[in-house]
Amino acid sequence: MKKYLLRRILFSLFSLLVVIWTVMLLVFSLTDRSVIFQNDDTWNKRSANERIVYEYSQYQRYEYLEYVNYTSYASNKLGNGDAYTEESNLIQRQEGDAYLESATVQQFIEEYTAKGYKIVRLDPIKFSSGRTKGQLKPGGRGFLLAVRERPIIYRLFDYLGNLFTIETTNDVKDPSLTDRYVRFEKDPYSGLFAIVGSGTTHKYLLYFDSRFPWIHQNWIHLNLGVSYTRFRGQEITGVINDPSGDLKNARQQFPALIGTDQYVETSANFHSATYNMGELTDAEKQQFNDRYTVMTYRRSGLSMIENSFVIGLVAVVIAYCLGLPLGILMARKKDKLVDKLGMAYIVFIMAVPSLAYIFLFAALGTKLFNLPYKFANAQVKFLAYILPTISLALPQIGSLMKWMRRYMIDQMNSDYVKFARAEGLSEQEIFSQHISRNAIIPLVHGIPASILGCLTGAIITERVYSVPGVGNLLTLAINGHDNGIIVACTVFYTTLSIISQIAGDLLMVKYDPRISFETKGGR
Amino acid sequence: MAANKKQTVVNEDSLFTFIDHNTIESEKIIAPRYSYWKSVFRVFFRKKTNWGLLILFTVLLLCSFIIPIFCKYDPNENVTNALMFHLSPSQAMAQTGGFSFKWCLGTGALGNSIFYGIWASARTSLLLAVICAAINMTVGIIMGAVWGYSKQFDHVMLVIYNIIANVPYILMISVLVYIIGSGFWSFVFSLTVTGWLSIAYFFRTQVMIIRDREYSLASRCLGTPITRIVSKNILPFMTSVIVTILATELPSYISMEVFLSFIGVGLSASVPSLGRMIQEAQTAFITYPWEFWSPVAIASLVTIILYVLGQNLADASDPRTHM
Repeated sequence: MKKYLLRRILFSLFSLLVVIWTVMLLVFSLTDRSVIFQNDDTWNKRSANERIVYEYSQYQRYEYLEYVNYTSYASNKLGNGDAYTEESNLIQRQEGDAYLESATVQQFIEEYTAKGYKIVRLDPIKFSSGRTKGQLKPGGRGFLLAVRERPIIYRLFDYLGNLFTIETTNDVKDPSLTDRYVRFEKDPYSGLFAIVGSGTTHKYLLYFDSRFPWIHQNWIHLNLGVSYTRFRGQEITGVINDPSGDLKNARQQFPALIGTDQYVETSANFHSATYNMGELTDAEKQQFNDRYTVMTYRRSGLSMIENSFVIGLVAVVIAYCLGLPLGILMARKKDKLVDKLGMAYIVFIMAVPSLAYIFLFAALGTKLFNLPYKFANAQVKFLAYILPTISLALPQIGSLMKWMRRYMIDQMNSDYVKFARAEGLSEQEIFSQHISRNAIIPLVHGIPASILGCLTGAIITERVYSVPGVGNLLTLAINGHDNGIIVACTVFYTTLSIISQIAGDLLMVKYDPRISFETKGGR
Repeated sequence: MAANKKQTVVNEDSLFTFIDHNTIESEKIIAPRYSYWKSVFRVFFRKKTNWGLLILFTVLLLCSFIIPIFCKYDPNENVTNALMFHLSPSQAMAQTGGFSFKWCLGTGALGNSIFYGIWASARTSLLLAVICAAINMTVGIIMGAVWGYSKQFDHVMLVIYNIIANVPYILMISVLVYIIGSGFWSFVFSLTVTGWLSIAYFFRTQVMIIRDREYSLASRCLGTPITRIVSKNILPFMTSVIVTILATELPSYISMEVFLSFIGVGLSASVPSLGRMIQEAQTAFITYPWEFWSPVAIASLVTIILYVLGQNLADASDPRTHM
């Protein structure tokens, strides 16, 4: 079993690698990279040569290429004295090939062409007539750049290498910090213990608090990359994980003032404290014992992924609680009215496009029960969750009913059922103790997939009710040409699907000991 | 007693005549005439609902292929005439003077005729479903048969399948549409490039089950060529399975198109499609219900009819129902 599992996990990692690599190759080489400037204000403001250099800087930021500006090269080489000023003016003044006469320029070109860079010369653009003749046009400064495309394979390795970062005590590059450790400490905020680090970026590496899921960590960070256009430049992990809504104040004490009677109303989350490299203010020196003074703020709303997960999980629980018993009931009353009604419902759910019935439920829910339709407009937040949850649960109920009925009916003609009947067991007992236990085995396999699937959100439901969840992350990224999010979603979805497959198999083995993955001899 | 005696008097030999012993005739086994497809359709048409659904489907099919030929759908015909925007059926007909089919479902956000729009879109959806199902089923069945039969091929394909099966289908299609564009044929390509794989995998398992049955083994021992085993031993066994898969595949492509166009990663704006019509009318879902519910109704009608007809045909194609 262990050997099988190990092989399976290794193969899954391999296939994950292949998938990420393929998607990266397709996305970064076949799509038009300039679309990232579509709604970029800085790009719109700049013109001519400066715009081109800005494009290069953005491409470098998103790892399409590497470039070196000659002026920065010259300043490194010559310092910031007169020689440097003269060199940088040379680029501005002279058009054509005249700039090549400079020894530093020649050196620059030689050095970088040897490294495989391409030299890009942007001639200064000047007014050719009028009062300002000979002066630079706006954005017309001349540039000399060395540019090199980054092979996609490097991107892949960089991406995978940075996927997980683990905080160590050497993270803070501050020579004045001598006392570096990671240890258990009593946490004054929760009253329980916490793992506290010094020299790590975060102070609290593992801690408890009152927020779901009650235990939190800042030790290992998942880094899915950066969003290109939709959340320009933001970390994707942060986008899906950071709570939304208004600041939530609470009566708290600063770390250094614990034990005194000085309380403040603040939304600061002291557990999120990170190291401050700058100068501490006098107030901070009083309030904190150490330099961990930068923190995030508590907010009242849920994060994107939490929204999706809450709705999805409740829907899954409802679906299993209703779908399985209904499926059993349909099998028991085969060809009776209940069965026919159930079949009609199943056909409706299976055949009708999902968005048709989600809109139908939305229309019925708002008309008949006066439930809030759009998430943002809801007066009572709790009510806003009802319709999306029901919309998600109903199709799952249909599909569970369908399979449960199918598997029950398949089992009903088995020998063990006839035997049980011959033994004189009641129909009730046969159905609940014998048939349903066997029929449920294939459905057990799907449980991890449906629970983990909640993390990816629901595309149409979230769109219809405008739920701020993760379901539309991928589709909106595709509409907005956000390559960063597309890659991140690929990694995230594929990993979840692999984990749920393996977990489903394990659960099935656990539930039914007859199933085994061991390869027994023979052919 | 006397009668008996009288009978015994009759020469027994005169009651019997010798017939020629015919070796060819004696090989014939007499059984009731059975034709598979005749029986399938006999069972299928025994159900009255199937007749109704079939007629309804023919009407839908004719409408969606004939109406767009004679009445060209132009979404921008009234784009400059703001008076025609968002009209209910009665308003639209009052605006254009008297009853006409063109305006009997009102107008859309740009004054386009909803009635023409839904038929042009239904045509796209049906074409897409038929083309995708044809490609995926053909490739899937052929690859599945080879995959199930050849052990070397099985090793290679399983690795490929296990890699691709890990990627969620929606992700795969969306990324493909994003990369290769959203015209009709590139959309067909996105739906079929990996779509056949799951069908092939399903048929691989089916072929493997039948391949090792005793009668297949026996005919292999007798030296039957592989092509004959496949065509005579395996394929007939799979007819009902093929019909069942087809019955779920056909409507699923329509749903898929509606879904993908709705979320904006499906067909481009230049191709009339149900998903896009629904997406465009989405914001008007409460204020202008006819714009929204007409394409939804057509999409649902087509998929339900296809699904139920397909399921019933699949039931009928199972020889056990032919008794």
